[in-house]
Amino acid sequence: MPSSSPRRRPASYHRQLDLIAEMSHAFASSHDLRETLVRGLRQVADFIEAEAAGFFLVDEITGELVCHACVGPVDITGLRLAPGQGIVGRVVAQNVATLVADARADPHFGALVDLRTGFVTRSILCAPLSVQGHCLGAIELINGAFRAGDRQLLRAIGASVALAVVNARLAKAMVEQERLARELELAAEIQRAMLPAHLPGDFPVQGINHPAREVSGDFFDILQRADGRVAFAIGDVAGKGIDAALLMAKTCSLFRFLAKTQDRPAALLSAINAELCETAGSRGTFVTMVAGLFDPVSGAVLLANAGHEPPLLHWDGLFTSYPAGAPPLGIDPGLVTPAMPETRIALGGGCLYLFTDGLTEAFGNGHRLGSGGVQRMISAAAGLPADRRLAAIVDRLAPTRDDLTALLVEDRRGPPLLRLELDAAPEALSEIRRRVAEAVLKGGGTPGVAADVVLAVGEAVQNVICHGYGGPGPLALEIRRDGGGPLTVHLTDCAPRLDLASLPERCSAELQPGGLGLHFMRSVMDQVTFLPAPVGCGNLLTMTKALP
Amino acid sequence: MTGPFLTRYVGRTAVVALSGEIDMQNSPLVRSELLRHLSDRADLVVDLSGVAYIDSSGIASLVEAFQTARRQGTRFSLAAVSPAALRVLQLARLDEVFLLHARLDDAVTPR
Repeated sequence: MPSSSPRRRPASYHRQLDLIAEMSHAFASSHDLRETLVRGLRQVADFIEAEAAGFFLVDEITGELVCHACVGPVDITGLRLAPGQGIVGRVVAQNVATLVADARADPHFGALVDLRTGFVTRSILCAPLSVQGHCLGAIELINGAFRAGDRQLLRAIGASVALAVVNARLAKAMVEQERLARELELAAEIQRAMLPAHLPGDFPVQGINHPAREVSGDFFDILQRADGRVAFAIGDVAGKGIDAALLMAKTCSLFRFLAKTQDRPAALLSAINAELCETAGSRGTFVTMVAGLFDPVSGAVLLANAGHEPPLLHWDGLFTSYPAGAPPLGIDPGLVTPAMPETRIALGGGCLYLFTDGLTEAFGNGHRLGSGGVQRMISAAAGLPADRRLAAIVDRLAPTRDDLTALLVEDRRGPPLLRLELDAAPEALSEIRRRVAEAVLKGGGTPGVAADVVLAVGEAVQNVICHGYGGPGPLALEIRRDGGGPLTVHLTDCAPRLDLASLPERCSAELQPGGLGLHFMRSVMDQVTFLPAPVGCGNLLTMTKALP
Repeated sequence: MTGPFLTRYVGRTAVVALSGEIDMQNSPLVRSELLRHLSDRADLVVDLSGVAYIDSSGIASLVEAFQTARRQGTRFSLAAVSPAALRVLQLARLDEVFLLHARLDDAVTPR
């Protein structure tokens, strides 16, 4: 439709249809709505022979009418009119096209623009952008010899343009949705890439991640170190989407780098905290995380917990929980320091479970699962091999709204050379010595080594009777040797927690009660350590001796 | 309850032969036996040849006897110390504190 077309009198019905069709097509195919609007407005203004034209859309939030495009001597793009203001406002409010031959005679006419610009408005033709009774805005033509037929034409154009606007908005929403979907897919990709490669089923540390529909920042990592120990971590990044995924990727990378050499989980978490605070601290994101180190030879775990769900030790049917020793990472450099508490856990043939709140927050039978529910699920799955056990727990909870991530650390050592559970009393000492000597010989020790271990165990049991219980009391004794490693002796009692500070140092106070016995233990064994018992009260004494 | 020992006198010297395993269960008996002869102001020889095991409580009894003898000026020695007992004495670094005789005869024959 050439803009220099002769004045349409008599109005060409076909030309009007052409105009509508052309505009609809232009709106539908263009990605740049504003450019299309200006071109369309110019065509309409030329066709109806108006001096100026404006295109208004209702601001969906404020209800104001905003001029999105205009043609003519004065640029009013961006002009905002209060709801109902002016003739345009009336058209939108009433959803009816109007023809005002003498604008200044109309009480709705707002002369503000004229006053400001010097433009003189004489006549107005205005039609709503109406779709299914809903008005999105209006097209306004200024100064022309408008006739009743023009009003019909502009109304038809308005309806067509309104459809185009709706389509454009839908398309934009779809693009936005697609962008979000791509972002989530990318985040999921990042998350998957950061999870450790599949580990053999008999590896003592196993992990599982069951991603939710929406990506969250759950992660775990398992790392076999050159010294035979296994570093592991589990964590949860607050927030969702690409930011959480990137923060998680960063945390994972830092862990992977530090865990190869760092022997202290507290120092490791503190280093990650410092790094996260430097870059991510201001955005209100944070990371809860447990980092640990597992020694498969001794069956001991050393871990530190920054704001994460307490890990659970499942030992002999009992559960022990190890609460966080510091707040989450990424909040403040001073909150997580190398001085944060570390927990040493002797697995003693048990299994340590770590998980994200996806598990505890999951629902079973309509109730939040909580730690108790997780314990029941662990107990129910206890008979399965480790890798299938985690899958069994997670599969029962999926699908859920949140990520499900769990990790276990299992003491995979073979059966012990000796396991005795008895009431420690002076009368039992002789039998204990006989059994210990047998076990050490069975484990490959010489008679000399057996005599030494017998002495150490005898002194240890005597200390428990004399200084722990002040009489007879229950005692568990375990001797094992795994993979050609040193002989290890574990002695667990239920006596009051030993005050480690009160233990005499080597070579001093040898003739004080217990002091000589302790000296014997330390002399004949390579290592003697006292720890809180893995479950409940009591103490765990661990002694090791290398065998030639 | 009889203790893990057999006592005989050679002149004014009490020879207490410990045997078997000395631990917290029977060391109180050993202790009172040693102190009983010391209170008679006898010289004391403890024969450790038959000791298969001795723990810190047994060692403590020997130390207490040693201290008592020294206070009252009587003689106290260990004789024919079994390898098991010697190991423990060495761990306690008491092998240089006690007077040790390789053979029982050396301990009881007056010089």
